[in-house]
Amino acid sequence: MPLLELRNVRVSYGRVEALSGISLMVEEGEIVALLGANGAGKSTTLRTISGMMAPTSGEVVFAGQRISGLGPEKIVRLGLSHVAEGRRIFPGLTVRDNIMLGASNRRATRRELNADVEEMFALFPDIRPFADTLCWKLSGGQLQMAAVARGLTARPKLLLLDEPSLGLAPLIIQKVFEVIREIQRRGTTVLLVEQNANMALSVADRGYVLETGLLKLSGKASDLAASDEIRAAYLGGRAA
Amino acid sequence: MDIILQLTFAGIGVGSIYALVALGLVLIYRATNVVNFAQGDFPMMGAFILVVCLLSAGLPYWLSILLSLAGMVVFGAAFNLGVYYPLRNRSYLPVLISTLGASILVQNIILAFYGPQPANLPALLPFRGFQIGSVFLDPQYIVIIGVSALLVVLQYLFFEKTLLGKKLQATSQDKEMAGLLGIPVKRMIMLTFVYSALLGGIAGILVAPIIYFSITMGNAIALKAFAATIIGGFGDIRGAIIGGIGLGLIETFGAAYISVPYKDGFAFVVLFAFLMLLPQGIFGEKIAEKA
Ligand SMILES: Nc1ncnc2c1ncn2[C@@H]1O[C@H](COP(=O)(O)OP(=O)(O)O)[C@@H](O)[C@H]1O
Ligand SMILES: [Mg+2]
Repeated sequence: MPLLELRNVRVSYGRVEALSGISLMVEEGEIVALLGANGAGKSTTLRTISGMMAPTSGEVVFAGQRISGLGPEKIVRLGLSHVAEGRRIFPGLTVRDNIMLGASNRRATRRELNADVEEMFALFPDIRPFADTLCWKLSGGQLQMAAVARGLTARPKLLLLDEPSLGLAPLIIQKVFEVIREIQRRGTTVLLVEQNANMALSVADRGYVLETGLLKLSGKASDLAASDEIRAAYLGGRAA
Repeated sequence: MDIILQLTFAGIGVGSIYALVALGLVLIYRATNVVNFAQGDFPMMGAFILVVCLLSAGLPYWLSILLSLAGMVVFGAAFNLGVYYPLRNRSYLPVLISTLGASILVQNIILAFYGPQPANLPALLPFRGFQIGSVFLDPQYIVIIGVSALLVVLQYLFFEKTLLGKKLQATSQDKEMAGLLGIPVKRMIMLTFVYSALLGGIAGILVAPIIYFSITMGNAIALKAFAATIIGGFGDIRGAIIGGIGLGLIETFGAAYISVPYKDGFAFVVLFAFLMLLPQGIFGEKIAEKA
């Protein structure tokens, strides 16, 4: 049984349909990349999985349970954590507090929370010096690391990452992707949304390619990386 | 010199009342993005319950205060459920109108059942006050300043040191993200309304003995509290406190040195000056924090 399964999911913003029947699955322990150009519906897919949006038809099944319609507060308690587009770090709180609030999906004592935050600083040593800095003062790379750290503090079975490389310098992107590998090694399954296809396919086991609300391609990451269609879709004139 | 000290003392006292109501206004605004036009009815309600318990039912002062505080918890919760909650997914305008309607409704319900007569509440402390040098200290003002200072300290500790306080802050900064992390957003907003109503109720309990209770007593307080938040920088907690106390001082000194009848006007002269010259308020540059 896959950890996550989407069955023919349709989603609309008002009268505009953003996903026109998506079916995909993520097996436990995998890193799966969800690729596609800007506006293809990648973020909408993640928002539907985490319960920020409800599908108009179809269903989302997580760990054997139908979760579509439950709402985000309940879904995150089941062990599904979503690092949303734009990082969405609370600007008026410190890095430490932001990371700590990632554990709001479960019961934990102050001591356990402090230990969790320490573990995150061990994983992201670059943000440790800013532990007590208010987040509006951080750079994009630091915010991204704080956002991933916060998502991991939920101790998810499945982590959804929405364009973690967006707007970051190449060196920082390297670091973020190293951490994604490390997350997988620690036993967390990852569904990774990226426009940076090469980078995403270099860490992923499998991948899907979305185009305007429909899945166009799917397969092993190495096959996708070598496919001409991917090159056409990403290097051909589509706006990034 | 003594008169200056005396006026400063009174000004801080009155300003503390504005600050408490302004704090409630800011907390609700930060949590819901709505300016609550019924904020002044929180102090009125707190004072009204006190009047009913103390004067009509003849209960002891301490019990009346406890009942008033309990009443404000219920009122805040009911306000959240009845006025805000049904419209929470609409834009700010329907909610704003809803709070305005709630204010009119509450005042008229009390008018219908209790009547329009004002009430004179006895001071909380039975003694008449004391003299330090030639400065006379009214005990009610001492209570107001002491309780307000204590509340500000407790609130600071609560928001900055407790996990629940941080969840409330997170909710006010990004509700959708807070929900995505598993923070119970509805409960956080409920808590904000209850706390804001309590702050207002306490302000009403404290101020009623020095200004008379009346059904419309909250209107002027709410206007001053609103002015205080603009002066301090809208949406800023410190701004609400500094703005409230500043406004109390300006009003008191203005009444003493310029004109008593225009006392209420000074607040609006200052407000107008701020809107023209420093529209972002004293702590306005922190707007960056909300970006
Ligand atoms: N809040 C919204 N309201 C209306 N349409 C939206 C909204 N968000 C996204 N869309 C539309 O849905 C489609 C998919 O968007 P999105 O999932 O954000 O794409 P991606 O993440 O792949 O760039 C796009 O056509 C976009 O314009
Ligand atoms: Mg997107």
